[in-house]
Amino acid sequence: MLKVINGGVETVVEDWPGRIGYLDNGMAASGAFDNVALGFSNLLVGNPVNEAGIEIAGGYFEAGFDTDSVIAVTGTHMKPTLNGQLIPLWESIAVKKGDVIKFGHFGEFGFRSYMSVAGGIDVPVYLGSKSTCIFGSYGGYQGRKLQAGDVLKFGKPSKPLKGIKKRKVKKECIPPYEREWRMRAVPGPNAYPDYMTQEGMDYLYEHAHKIQHSSNRSAYRLEAAQINLFARKDGGIAGSHPSNVLDHAYAIPGALNICGDTPILLIADGPTLGGYLCALSVIYADLWKIGQGTPVRDFIKFECCTPEEAVEARRQQRSLLTEESLA
Amino acid sequence: MSERNYHVMLDTLPEAGSRPEVLFRQAGDGFVQVEYGSIPRFNLVDSFRVLAVNAAVKAKKVKGLYETVPGLRTNLYHFDPEVLSSKKLIAEIRDCERQIAGVEEIEFQSRLITLPIAFTDSETQKAVAKYVKEVRPDAPNVINGYNIEYSALCNGVTVAEIKRMICGTEWYNSGNGFWPGGGFFWPLDPQCAIVVPKYNPPRTWTPEGTVGIGGPCLYIYPTPTGGGYQLFGRTIPIFQFSQKHELFKESPTFFKAGDRIRFHETTEEEVLEIHRLVHEEAKYTYDIKYGKFKVKDWLTFYNSAPVQKGMKDLLTKQEAGVKAAPKV
Repeated sequence: MLKVINGGVETVVEDWPGRIGYLDNGMAASGAFDNVALGFSNLLVGNPVNEAGIEIAGGYFEAGFDTDSVIAVTGTHMKPTLNGQLIPLWESIAVKKGDVIKFGHFGEFGFRSYMSVAGGIDVPVYLGSKSTCIFGSYGGYQGRKLQAGDVLKFGKPSKPLKGIKKRKVKKECIPPYEREWRMRAVPGPNAYPDYMTQEGMDYLYEHAHKIQHSSNRSAYRLEAAQINLFARKDGGIAGSHPSNVLDHAYAIPGALNICGDTPILLIADGPTLGGYLCALSVIYADLWKIGQGTPVRDFIKFECCTPEEAVEARRQQRSLLTEESLA
Repeated sequence: MSERNYHVMLDTLPEAGSRPEVLFRQAGDGFVQVEYGSIPRFNLVDSFRVLAVNAAVKAKKVKGLYETVPGLRTNLYHFDPEVLSSKKLIAEIRDCERQIAGVEEIEFQSRLITLPIAFTDSETQKAVAKYVKEVRPDAPNVINGYNIEYSALCNGVTVAEIKRMICGTEWYNSGNGFWPGGGFFWPLDPQCAIVVPKYNPPRTWTPEGTVGIGGPCLYIYPTPTGGGYQLFGRTIPIFQFSQKHELFKESPTFFKAGDRIRFHETTEEEVLEIHRLVHEEAKYTYDIKYGKFKVKDWLTFYNSAPVQKGMKDLLTKQEAGVKAAPKV
């Protein structure tokens, strides 16, 4: 068991890929922002890669263990301590009953930390997933972020604790963290020539977009475009602005919505349907980078790729998230 | 010249008879969007076609297809590209598009759900009062503490006529979205097509079961949330997280794409009592009739002389109403 002492900025229970199959009910998948960091923290403690862990955004999460266990912390370096002693990231660590783990704030690179415990976080599976949807107040731990006094139960570890401590992710397998997050994206469904100008698409792919402070688990807002992006004068019957379209479904997570002149990445808890065009989509294998982008400080840059390259990138990511990557 | 390839049109089917041109757009890694017509239009027949083809593709149980998300004139297909190629998926959809030729022949499963509505009830009045107090004290869309008089003004009709129009048509759901379980409902009788502007800026709170209209679209708020539609009253639960009531056993949501709803006016006491029965005792029986929606019958009705005349009369009133009503 884990007793929460301080919930921090925004700490939630998430698995991967979340709640799939409910988009036509208006329910986004939710799920971890960074499935690579969560995947590695799970692997280290002997869990299936998609098991539910704790996602810590911003920092200041603090909690006490009520049982002996093995844990792993990955993601941004929040200088976590166990009973006041710094602990390493990307490594499994034995904890004892009475130990207290405490996180500082987000690191020099990245914005979210992940903590997995052997056996996973035991919250009810709601519509096929343990993920929290903050926006809709369901799933995870009582449909909300964690706060002081909450008690999280653990599942049954897959292996004896002895055998899973002090395991590490190989150095060359730890994903690179940046200030300018470059992510591959395929154009569409509303691109050049019918909705966007070629210059508009070039701008989206060439400009480093600063992440706005109003970003959250539904949407990562980027700075407003400084040039005209649109091939149309207006949205026709859908509205006066050329970013308006008759309501259509959004390909979440990863679609880049253009709302007026503001590009917005629709993600985890995002809207499933709406009346703005979508110019490109971040590929599945690079989705993990979005939530590691620190609002106000970091930038996002899109790199054009083909659907075939996107499929190959999925394969590579799956082979990365295996025991082979551990030492 | 850019070296990047921004071409997203994966395939097309030409216009044929009453079938519009079909566009297959790349919509992401594992997503294809099917769109009707290269020039966007607002016409419910496109939505009927979306649902007919959607049902046919789903019946094929294509391996690797996770889900579909129907919209008014588009359908989004979400699939695992490692199992199913977009080429194979498009071939399956094309096959269904060819089988469903004319819009007149389209029929699909459609439940007719009758819901009670309490107009201008006290809970939705609270939402309007909160908006005036906390968001916009001078909101022109609030007259006598509510939106219904303003909505009547915009349409050049009386409040009684607004109520008669809401209860006088079946409302058709083109698909769920925005919030878990909420449907986008459109009037099947154009003589009841109320059109109102949306809140500016939006509300921060709307009670569960609120009936609102924005533009020509009617929405029932499944759970308490923000929102921008003008408020008319309150109906009974359409969503249940706990899934205690048997209607919600399989899913916490009630509405499906293709459903129709019809309202009848009742008292606030009855609506509140049904909320209690559904959520606390899991007892209430919903009024649902199962059947088929036949597009041919609807087209005959829609194109009939009295309906066309009624529609034109309403449009004339609305033109005058839009000029008379203050802008939001």
